[in-house]
Amino acid sequence: MIWRAVTREPRRLARLAGWSLAETLPSFLIGHAIARAIEDGFAAGRPVTGLVWLGLLGGAWLVAAVGARQSVLAVAAIAEPFRDDLLSRVVGGTLRTATTPPWRSGAESVARSTLQVELARDAFAAVITVVRSFAFTVVSVVLGMVTLMPAMLPLVLPPFAAGLALFLLSLPAMARRQRAFLIADERLAESVASMAGGLRDIVACGAEVRIAAEVGGRIAAQADAARAVARVMALRTVSLGVAGWLPVLLVLAYGPGLGASAGAVVGTLAYVVQSLGPALGGLVEGLGVSGVRLMASVARIRETAPTQEPAQEPAQEPARETAPEPAPAHGAAPDLASTARSAPVQNPPAHRPAPTTGSAPGRVRPRANRVELRGVTFAYGPGAAPVVSGLDLSLPEDAHLAVVGPSGLGKSTLAALVTGLLAPSSGEITIGGVRARDVAPAARVLIPQEAYVFHGTLGENLTYLAPASPDAVWKAIDEVGMTELACRLGGRHAEVDPAALSAGERQLIALTRAYLAPARLVILDEATCHLDPAAEARAEAAFARRGGALVVVAHRLTSALRARHVLLMDGTRVRLGTHDELLAVSPLYRDLIGQWTPDVKQVS
Amino acid sequence: MEAADRLVVRTIRHGGPWLLVLAVASVGGSILELALPYVVGRTVDALVAGGPSASPAGPVPGAFTGPVAGCALVLAGVVVCDSLQVWAAGASGASASAWLRRRLVAHVLGAGPAMTRRFPEGDLTTRLGMNAEETGRAPEAIVTGASLLVPTVGGLVALVLIDPLPAVTLVAGLALIVLVLRAFLRDTSAIVAAYQRVQGDIAARLVAALSGARTIAAAGTADAEIARVLAPLPRLRVYGMGLWRANARAGVRTGVVVPLLEVAVLVVGGLRLAGGDLTVGELYATARYAVLGAGLGSALGYVGRLARARAAAGRVGELSREPRRAYGRRELPPGPGRLEFRGVSGAGLHGVDVVIPGGAAIAVVGRSGSGKSALAALAGRLADPAEGVVLLDGVPMPDLSRTALRRAVGHAFDRPVLVGDTVGDAIGLGTPAPARASETASGRAVVAAAARAACADAFVRRLPGGYATPLAQAPMSGGERQRIGLARAFAQAARVLVLDDATSSLDTLTERRVAAALAGELRGRTRILTTHRATTAARADAVLWLEDGRLRGYDRHEALWAAHPGYRAVFRTDVPAETAAEGWA
Repeated sequence: MIWRAVTREPRRLARLAGWSLAETLPSFLIGHAIARAIEDGFAAGRPVTGLVWLGLLGGAWLVAAVGARQSVLAVAAIAEPFRDDLLSRVVGGTLRTATTPPWRSGAESVARSTLQVELARDAFAAVITVVRSFAFTVVSVVLGMVTLMPAMLPLVLPPFAAGLALFLLSLPAMARRQRAFLIADERLAESVASMAGGLRDIVACGAEVRIAAEVGGRIAAQADAARAVARVMALRTVSLGVAGWLPVLLVLAYGPGLGASAGAVVGTLAYVVQSLGPALGGLVEGLGVSGVRLMASVARIRETAPTQEPAQEPAQEPARETAPEPAPAHGAAPDLASTARSAPVQNPPAHRPAPTTGSAPGRVRPRANRVELRGVTFAYGPGAAPVVSGLDLSLPEDAHLAVVGPSGLGKSTLAALVTGLLAPSSGEITIGGVRARDVAPAARVLIPQEAYVFHGTLGENLTYLAPASPDAVWKAIDEVGMTELACRLGGRHAEVDPAALSAGERQLIALTRAYLAPARLVILDEATCHLDPAAEARAEAAFARRGGALVVVAHRLTSALRARHVLLMDGTRVRLGTHDELLAVSPLYRDLIGQWTPDVKQVS
Repeated sequence: MEAADRLVVRTIRHGGPWLLVLAVASVGGSILELALPYVVGRTVDALVAGGPSASPAGPVPGAFTGPVAGCALVLAGVVVCDSLQVWAAGASGASASAWLRRRLVAHVLGAGPAMTRRFPEGDLTTRLGMNAEETGRAPEAIVTGASLLVPTVGGLVALVLIDPLPAVTLVAGLALIVLVLRAFLRDTSAIVAAYQRVQGDIAARLVAALSGARTIAAAGTADAEIARVLAPLPRLRVYGMGLWRANARAGVRTGVVVPLLEVAVLVVGGLRLAGGDLTVGELYATARYAVLGAGLGSALGYVGRLARARAAAGRVGELSREPRRAYGRRELPPGPGRLEFRGVSGAGLHGVDVVIPGGAAIAVVGRSGSGKSALAALAGRLADPAEGVVLLDGVPMPDLSRTALRRAVGHAFDRPVLVGDTVGDAIGLGTPAPARASETASGRAVVAAAARAACADAFVRRLPGGYATPLAQAPMSGGERQRIGLARAFAQAARVLVLDDATSSLDTLTERRVAAALAGELRGRTRILTTHRATTAARADAVLWLEDGRLRGYDRHEALWAAHPGYRAVFRTDVPAETAAEGWA
């Protein structure tokens, strides 16, 4: 990923190299100019010659300044696209993860990911800058020394190379310890945040000692990691000292013996102290700090955004392939004159590991919209009890079904299964004969409890699923019962601010949007829970008149009274019937309806 | 001396022996560094004076004697000191921060929820995290800053001593640098703000899209949404390049000033050399001291770091203003869990006198702000009354040991915060097991029984890893969270259960099942339930009716309902049509 970003546009690299050359001109000139200025100029009693040489050096610095400016821009031209890449990856990855089971929102990590992207960009630019600057400086210095006094090279290069090698050898250890520190630091931050957030609960549970010990363990681990980093840094400083200062000593000790004049000695020292030393220092800092940070940030971003390369998703395929296998037959007889039967809970079929699905939507548009579930079993993981077990269900083209039952026991899972967002562990779900997973999104519409309204015009929000004429939009607005809201907002072209809308108003927009979709199968998953009962009744009636099949995961039991059939889900026990049938045979259903009866309505 | 400084001093003392090493290495290193140009210059002069004639060809055996040996010693000293300084700085900072953090964590836990009332959660996290780290780095900042001043100030002094003229040149140049840096600050802040705005825009779009994840998944519009989120990217690029340009401009200015300064010093020094006032070695030293002196800017940067550390210490020190809560040493005598409130005032309550018999189920009702939650918190000593006393089975609460108190009373909340690695751990947080409840069979049994009573068992078993599912991988609705919170309290409390609006997000059927458990297997314990629901009040043995922090009535629901229109009004107005109920069906 990093390498690709660097080499993507060779032209930019060439430009960077050109300006780097200008930037390192003083490194080439410095020793030579100082030596000549002293030797031929000031020391020889010809100050004008000395001034000319120093003027040359000053000019070189000016050229270098322009080169440095252009190099920064050249680095930026490589680093900015890299940032764009990373950000696209974070956005794409987070959204894809959130829209794929198990729908982990990831909203809480958005700020952190954004920060990581910035850190990665800065570190990336820093690494390019120092590596490039180091390479060009070393070459310039060597060339400069060749012109000044080649005999000095053996005094300078070997110790410099030795120190550099020492540093490079320490780099992997350094990177490991830095990474270990970053991880320890993050784990500490997590535990501190969780402690701060749960203070009341920790005290109420009397778990202070336990939590103090846990956080204390992480504090110690973080401090240990910091000390380990310090140890390697100390070693690294030694290598820097060897590379930077040993040449100075050798030049002083043996330079004059090689016949070097005072000017040549001072010039050579200028090369070592003014150019090589700082360049090495920059490299050490750049690779040791920015390089490690870059690696850590990129690794973190990879975690957020697992992959976008299509070639790397084979692990998810098998679950999809095995999904439609027929379920084991169940012996239980239907308890109603209907197509559903209760599955024997004591004998759940073996279920497969957590079925996950890719985010790619299906493409087939079935001609009919008859929904069939045959022996459908689903669990969220291998260690999890099934949420739906051996469910058989058949919905006619014009079905109006209400799904009722206690919360958290499978109603929304059923909606996701029928929509194809989840693949069953076993059994088969078809819409109009086509496997639910392969059905094009346009053929069915699911409106979840949390209505999605985005920044944009009301019209854009309403025609999100399919284009529609203004007349059709207004008719839908009227049917669903959001005329008042639409007028208050200012019509189709008004900008919508989701945060300024109430939850109920957002649901009205989502409902009208669904109404406008061409889909012949509509699933409302508690999509009216924030509406008052009258508005809910009106919206449901609009969908009932609209034609096609309607499945309502009920929030209030009034939805069940309006539906032709009711599916009662309580754990894996499932019953299907009309309202009256269920009243007659299901104590649980009677219980639910009894709860709702008007004498306690005041507390709802 | 201010509190912040005192804290810095105490932190310094806990940096351990490494701090001494740091001080010695820093000061020693900077003195050696200061000496270096002089020593090298002297060596050059000595070599020039006697060098070439004494040894015309090749290195001589005595190459490391005399001035060169001195150089070698100084250089070795510099390297050793540098290395020790880096090591000691890291080690002492780590020890100091760790000491500070441990102390703060103990204090925060000791002070309890009162702490979060004063410092919001995110603020607290910052103080314990970044601020503690910065405070821990204070010793290093002081020592390093001080030791950086030695070579820079010393460099300037040495320059003056060698020759005042180059020194004047240098000072004039330094003033120029300061001006340049100020221009840089002016240049960028506007662009930085614009850049951050676009960044924030993208993040906000992403968060908005994430809130509609299920809609997007069902509609198969993920790609369109990604494009929508990334739409401001080109603007980000524009501002980003603007930042780089400003950066490059400032970099050019600063980058060129120091070398030109050095060239200027060389010119002045060279002319002095030509005039015979300087030796070659002195010229070398002059140039080096000019560079060292130009480092004054970065030394001043350390002053800024010190100021930051001091500010951080101030923020950290503020935490200790919230006192730690004291616990007594008494154990509980055997008893049914009888609670007595005697003349209790504070936190919105006024003179509440009431006795809750052991084993009773008491509903606490009242409008929002009437003091229900305050009463609930006092019942388990999550807070102390300003006046009066609360007794549990005859023992004043503050006299009880922490263990005795927490084993006896369990709290469940409207919005419980779950703490622990796994769902099972979170439920077992209040159990007395020294290890985690999930690690022993009996602990697991206690957890599962509590979860069944709280109607949490069924959905927990449907999680990907059942009770072993990591909390982070168990997304839960508000109602599911409440059920885990209830289970946690059930597993903990031996005598008193305090349910502070803890079933508000449950659907009616689940709430009824929890109520049945409270009336069934949990009946031996005193149960205090704050509630908005008439059904809950009707099921309780008695209702404690609060109004504006005062006890308005204490009787059975039917009696209050029949006698007081004001009591009936509590249930009508307090419950809007759109309560956060998880579902009705």
